[in-house]
Amino acid sequence: MIHLTVNGKERDWDALPGDTLLDVLRREGITGVKKGCGSGDCGACTVLLGGRAVNACLVLAAKADGAEVVTIEGVSSDGALHPVQESFLEAGAVQCGYCTPGMVLSAIALLARNASPTEHEIREAISGNLCRCTGYVKQVEAIERAAARLRGER
Amino acid sequence: MSLRQVQRIARPTTVEEAWAIRRAAPDASRFLAGGVDLVLYAPPSVTTLIDLSRLGLDGIREEGDDLVLGAMATLSQALESPLVAGSAGGFLRDVLRRVASPPQRNLATIGGAAVRGHPWSDVVTALLVLDAQLETYDGREARLSLAAAGAGEGPSPLVRAIRIPGAWRGSRAAFEKFSRAAVDVAMLNCACSALVERGTCREARVAVGGTPALARRLLDVERSLAGTKLTAVETRAAAEEAARGIEARDDLRASAAYRRRLARVGVERCLESIAGRGEETG
Repeated sequence: MIHLTVNGKERDWDALPGDTLLDVLRREGITGVKKGCGSGDCGACTVLLGGRAVNACLVLAAKADGAEVVTIEGVSSDGALHPVQESFLEAGAVQCGYCTPGMVLSAIALLARNASPTEHEIREAISGNLCRCTGYVKQVEAIERAAARLRGER
Repeated sequence: MSLRQVQRIARPTTVEEAWAIRRAAPDASRFLAGGVDLVLYAPPSVTTLIDLSRLGLDGIREEGDDLVLGAMATLSQALESPLVAGSAGGFLRDVLRRVASPPQRNLATIGGAAVRGHPWSDVVTALLVLDAQLETYDGREARLSLAAAGAGEGPSPLVRAIRIPGAWRGSRAAFEKFSRAAVDVAMLNCACSALVERGTCREARVAVGGTPALARRLLDVERSLAGTKLTAVETRAAAEEAARGIEARDDLRASAAYRRRLARVGVERCLESIAGRGEETG
């Protein structure tokens, strides 16, 4: 049994000692967390653990015991999309969408620490989120838009 | 990938307790630090993981002139530490920026990166030129040079911290990594450091990794550099010596011949940067 705060709600979930956080989240219906490579390379399973972006496939669930987890399901509030999600829509930064939850969470983690990232910093922040549809241009643009929006400039 | 073989996660609160569990089951147990490697590569025999997160080993501090990185500090913590930024001109911080991806750096620990010994490890290459020592516990406290770690019989000791001696904290150091994509592992990496006094290199460290073997220091090259003024001719000669001195092999990432070329270019860039003539290569 592990105790987690997932998207603001306290949860006590069964977990085997060898389960990853990804296994547990998806088993409990949090399927916005995607399983891609299972080896920490693609970033489709990115979640925020204690406010930091991590690959849920590389985290043993037992190590997350007691921690706060945010998934894509938890970033909107009262039905309103998060500014990063809005910006992804506006910039056309979504194609097949499989990488999108992870990339949005990496962007949120970046903007929480750095309100005015450079393009290089944005590219570095999403370097662990592989997108096979695009060339990353629209995502970078989306995150720049989101940063401006969060600074109150748009 | 879940670890179906794992039946128990032990949560010791002292290093003595952690070591006792490890020693009692050398084949069936492993220390769990960041877990990044274990999740992917734990042997089927491992049924007990020993979580080190309650041992208070995640601090980064100064002791005298030395920099002491708690083994459980994540790569991100180290990257963001003002103490790390203030050491060797920010060398280690700049290396860590180029290791893996931010989500992986938020999990992986400096201790795990230092002792897991992946052949392509950038962290090991960097720590070698800072003369890093491991503070260990295997029934007694000890300090080992990074190169000597893991050489003994039985389970490797528990690593409590990585210590960077004051002298090398004040060195000039530079790092180069060649990889096919930003988050890919290195085809080859190299690092150099030097203690420079009145324009003369008193002592140097040169390490090359991903050859594709794990990084090692090139002692002949280091000796050649001692006493030089690090002129362009001298750095070129040292780089050529380094290229000859590595044990280059072919693998899926690069050929041996290409690796020798990378070693020459990389070591020369590092030394030129140390000599103050380097160009930003990103």
